[in-house]
Amino acid sequence: MSEHLPVLIFLSPLMTAIILPVVGLAHREWSRPLALAAVSVMTVLSLINLVVVIRHGTMRYTFSGWAAPLGIEWVDDGLASLLMIMVSVLSFLAMIHAGFAEPSSLGGRVVPYYALILLLIAALTGIVFSGDLFNVFVFLEVGALSAYALVGIEGGKALVSAFRYLILGTLGSSLYLLGVAYCYAVTGTLNMMDLAERVPELLLSKAIVGGLIFLFLGLGIKMAIVPLHGWLPDAYTHAPDAVSPFLASLSTKVALIAWVRIMFWVVGANAEIDHVPVLFLLEEVGSVAAVVGAVLALTQSELKRIFAYGGISHIGLILIGVSLGNRTGFAGGVFYLINDAVLQAALFFLAGVACVRYGVRTLDDVRRVRGYTPWMTGALVVMAMAMVGFPPTGGFFGKWYIILGALEARNYLSVGAVVVATLLTLAYWVRILERVFHSGRPSPGQTQGQASAAPPLDLPVALKVSVGTVSAAIILLGLSSDPIIGFLRTVAVPPGL
Amino acid sequence: MIHAYDSVIVFTLGRVLIPVMQLFGLYVLFFGQYGPGGGFVGGVILGTSVILSILVFGLNESSGRLVSRVLHGDGVGLLIFAGVGGLCLIGGGAFLNYADLEFPGLDVASRRYLGILLAQIGVAVDVAVTSVSIVLSLAVTNEEEDSHV
Repeated sequence: MSEHLPVLIFLSPLMTAIILPVVGLAHREWSRPLALAAVSVMTVLSLINLVVVIRHGTMRYTFSGWAAPLGIEWVDDGLASLLMIMVSVLSFLAMIHAGFAEPSSLGGRVVPYYALILLLIAALTGIVFSGDLFNVFVFLEVGALSAYALVGIEGGKALVSAFRYLILGTLGSSLYLLGVAYCYAVTGTLNMMDLAERVPELLLSKAIVGGLIFLFLGLGIKMAIVPLHGWLPDAYTHAPDAVSPFLASLSTKVALIAWVRIMFWVVGANAEIDHVPVLFLLEEVGSVAAVVGAVLALTQSELKRIFAYGGISHIGLILIGVSLGNRTGFAGGVFYLINDAVLQAALFFLAGVACVRYGVRTLDDVRRVRGYTPWMTGALVVMAMAMVGFPPTGGFFGKWYIILGALEARNYLSVGAVVVATLLTLAYWVRILERVFHSGRPSPGQTQGQASAAPPLDLPVALKVSVGTVSAAIILLGLSSDPIIGFLRTVAVPPGL
Repeated sequence: MIHAYDSVIVFTLGRVLIPVMQLFGLYVLFFGQYGPGGGFVGGVILGTSVILSILVFGLNESSGRLVSRVLHGDGVGLLIFAGVGGLCLIGGGAFLNYADLEFPGLDVASRRYLGILLAQIGVAVDVAVTSVSIVLSLAVTNEEEDSHV
């Protein structure tokens, strides 16, 4: 049975997403328990999957029994199984959170709401496992379509952001599809393993180079790498509070993983186009993204937007890490990706809670949180530590290995970019924490505002659990960084590194 | 709601054309294993025939509500598709490997035939229902959905 694990992991959210609308016709209130059950089954299966992969090595799943170049193949290797844990555990936590932060204006749309979230999770699973360029496109589209609908599900202002997201996201998908078409026209195959045998010899062909550029641009829009990030802050800010953790933590990271697959498993780590190493170009793109993202975060005044730009900056850091061309950097990059996924989920949980319970939207509102909620303040401090990169959080070890990898590759520009981005991150966290811990007397206007505001409520247990779990996970990731990095350096390492 | 188009020519032509379209859709669906066609194209043709009949003969309030309730089951087609795949899994083979469908008294070739046909019917149902639901969601404002808060 263990050889069917990848498809079972994929089917549990997908089938539930299909069944939900039928069940929801009679029992609308069942949709949430069903969705939770699906995601917990998925989490258990991914844990088993990791164990099986560690014991038996890479699994290749061929659909319909057609062998690889003809049929569709899924690759369940070290990297995919590790990332599946990330996807399923975070989906589980976000699903728990989604129940409590469920938008109240949904009404009858609560059934499609859960069905769409499950579809999004299924699509992310597909992208992680897929060993086929076109299959990645299909799942990118499934995930993106669910995401557009989820962003706009509350109606009102969110619809505009959803529409903008739709236009840019569709542009990204189209560019990706164009790239796939170019590669297919030249090589006649879509399977990644098959492509890997042909593409490296064809790197002088303009069609292949153009195709690869289109693939990167398409995925670049999806992962919001800096010049292509315009859709992200609006979409995350106006999305329902329960939805933005899913989008922020998983969808951009999974697009990045799709690119890592193409870069290392198809193009090859040592690929050069006209004597320029491809990885070097990516690293420069990453450096620019890391610094510019952090600068933009510093200029924002809305809490969710700060976190969104922080995420954009972190995508740059991860891209630096995976593009360094050595095992240390790659392990650091992927570790930072996992850490950042947890972190972004945590940040948007918090921003959602702060907004729903205390009406905190902008930076100046943050002081309202002070004093009433040790849970929130504590979580905020943990997240600040992780984002800036203090030990013992996961953020520290991720950045540490990225810098070690950059030094190993003698790439001092990247080291500089990581350090500058870190300092800028520290700067915008100081702005937030200053308002939480600031002990000065509030001005008269604020006292009035505080007096007239409703008395602060304590958090419900479930929110405490979700916020507490992710904060604990951030520290736990740091403490268990050694085995994870070891796993990444030995089992999940791409060919050619 | 969509009102019927008041014209004898449109009525008569609709009555003649729509059954032919549906027959052709079914033909494309069942012919898909041997030649061009298959579930997706067949489903589009079937869906189009329904859309055409709605445009020609109209859709009143009560039947519109009925249709939009039926459309809640638009995943049924996908369910058939994934169900066939799941049966293959239970039979011990890979997902959608029709040779492992557990049908007693059938040889491998017939199992594959049956498996592909069932999966394609699932695809056709899904595509047809989806295309109709797109038209309906543009035409029908469903207030019943939101009033049940």
